[in-house]
Amino acid sequence: MRGLLATMGNAFAEARANRAALGSQMAVMVLNDVVWVVFWVLFFRRVGSVGGWDARRILLLLAVLTTAGGITLGLLANARRIGTMAVEGELDAVLTLPVAPLPYLLLRRVEPTNLGDLLFGVCLFVLSGRPTLGRTAVFVGVVLASATLITGFLVLTGSLAFFLGRSEGGDLGFHAIVLLGSYPVDVFAGVAKVLLYSVVPAAFVSTVPATLIDSFDAGRAAALAAVAGAFGLAGWATFTAGLRRYTSGSLWTRA
Amino acid sequence: MGIEVRGLTKVFEGGRRRARRSVEAVRDISFTVEPGERVAYIGPNGAGKSTSIKILTGILHPTRGEARVLGVVPWEERRRLAGRIGTLFGQRSQLWLELTPRQSFRMLAAIYGLDRARERTRVGELAELLDAGDLFDTPVRSLSLGQRMRCELAACMVHEPEVLFLDEPTIGLDLLAKQRFRELLVRLNAERRTTIFLTSHDVADIEHVARRVIVINHGSVIYDDEVQAMRRSLLATKVVEVGLGHPAEPIAMCGVAVVEHSATAMKLVVDTAPPRSVPSSTPCSKVRRRSTSRWWTRRSSR
Repeated sequence: MRGLLATMGNAFAEARANRAALGSQMAVMVLNDVVWVVFWVLFFRRVGSVGGWDARRILLLLAVLTTAGGITLGLLANARRIGTMAVEGELDAVLTLPVAPLPYLLLRRVEPTNLGDLLFGVCLFVLSGRPTLGRTAVFVGVVLASATLITGFLVLTGSLAFFLGRSEGGDLGFHAIVLLGSYPVDVFAGVAKVLLYSVVPAAFVSTVPATLIDSFDAGRAAALAAVAGAFGLAGWATFTAGLRRYTSGSLWTRA
Repeated sequence: MGIEVRGLTKVFEGGRRRARRSVEAVRDISFTVEPGERVAYIGPNGAGKSTSIKILTGILHPTRGEARVLGVVPWEERRRLAGRIGTLFGQRSQLWLELTPRQSFRMLAAIYGLDRARERTRVGELAELLDAGDLFDTPVRSLSLGQRMRCELAACMVHEPEVLFLDEPTIGLDLLAKQRFRELLVRLNAERRTTIFLTSHDVADIEHVARRVIVINHGSVIYDDEVQAMRRSLLATKVVEVGLGHPAEPIAMCGVAVVEHSATAMKLVVDTAPPRSVPSSTPCSKVRRRSTSRWWTRRSSR
């Protein structure tokens, strides 16, 4: 545990090494998110509501998505790179250390750009999410579940590279979960909706968490926790099984 | 036992379903290395050296065969073994590019379970041993390759490993840095009885660091003997290119053959293993010499 904390400390120190870049990258990402907010506010002012979703609920959905996404892609930045690292032989250095490789890899890199998402998401919830003590507690809980789900899904799709020999799965997984998670699942219907509750669980990334903050339901919360845990475990199991098939490589890499 | 390998084989499967092909990177290799030995594990590109080291350090799983390093099966108990061995890959860095080596050492010490007092003492010892104290507080990005490799060596020594696996550790270093690095390895072995298992394409690394050499080619061990013995049988000649200030007659010396000669340069093949117990006054024509191989000739020029 002390080793993982030290790893996280170094990852933050490395991200802070270029303070000017850190600040500007975060600011650009916040600006990008603000543009999204402006777009959705203008859109719902014009059309009223869609499938029971209005501007306030969409902002809550965005707050959950950017905060959870910020945790995964900002604090556990290698989650998105597992496939590339597996294919390009970048796991050698971690495998020579007496650590569990997956937690080490996830904590090994902080991505300043996505920390902007995390900052933005928290601010958006504070400003537009009507934060009472109860709603804030639910927000924290569902954001952690959502971050676990995104991380597990990215590790799962990235780890397929061990078996397929190609890293595109990780990229596809990233785009699928984040893009589809940025829309309320109620705008989809039929097979697409079923897929968003199962194979690509984008519904549990943002729609279900945002709904839970507005109207908490123990059954739905348990389902969210179960899906998040299942994808977390599936990601870990696929990565662990994949390590047996790891073929390393001869590129110049660093730990 | 330091390292024990029996029938180790690694087959990489590749290609698409219809054109699946397999490459036998390591084929049925067997050898043992005693604690405190300095062994060079050499061979041409693609011979299987790095694959063998990656299996012995637990990075790769073998297809067949057995191996124990310090009594541990590397791929079954990788984490346990990692705490007792040090690994330095010339193409892999354990250091954090934007941070100082000392910050990396602090993290590694925490991972290896060293407390802060032990970490400080150990880093101090390494700074003295590697003569690198001033480098430890410079961001890695600002270090030269030679300085960085010294810090990489410190990084893999933080936890006082019993066996050091070094995969082309001198790659890219200049002559002086290489020489210094070799001296360090010999010193480490002498002072701490650290087992050294080294791969390199540089014959000088092998001659200066190792006492024993294992040659691998096409995945199989083809030679295993003392370096001195290999030097006598395979490293018996050196190619020397001499720049001439003015035209000169070809050199006529026992054991020296002139293979190229112009007004400005001369290329010589020098037999560096003259037979012992032959008086220097013996005519060259009466001295019997061993056959030599061009495979391991080292080129030097001035």
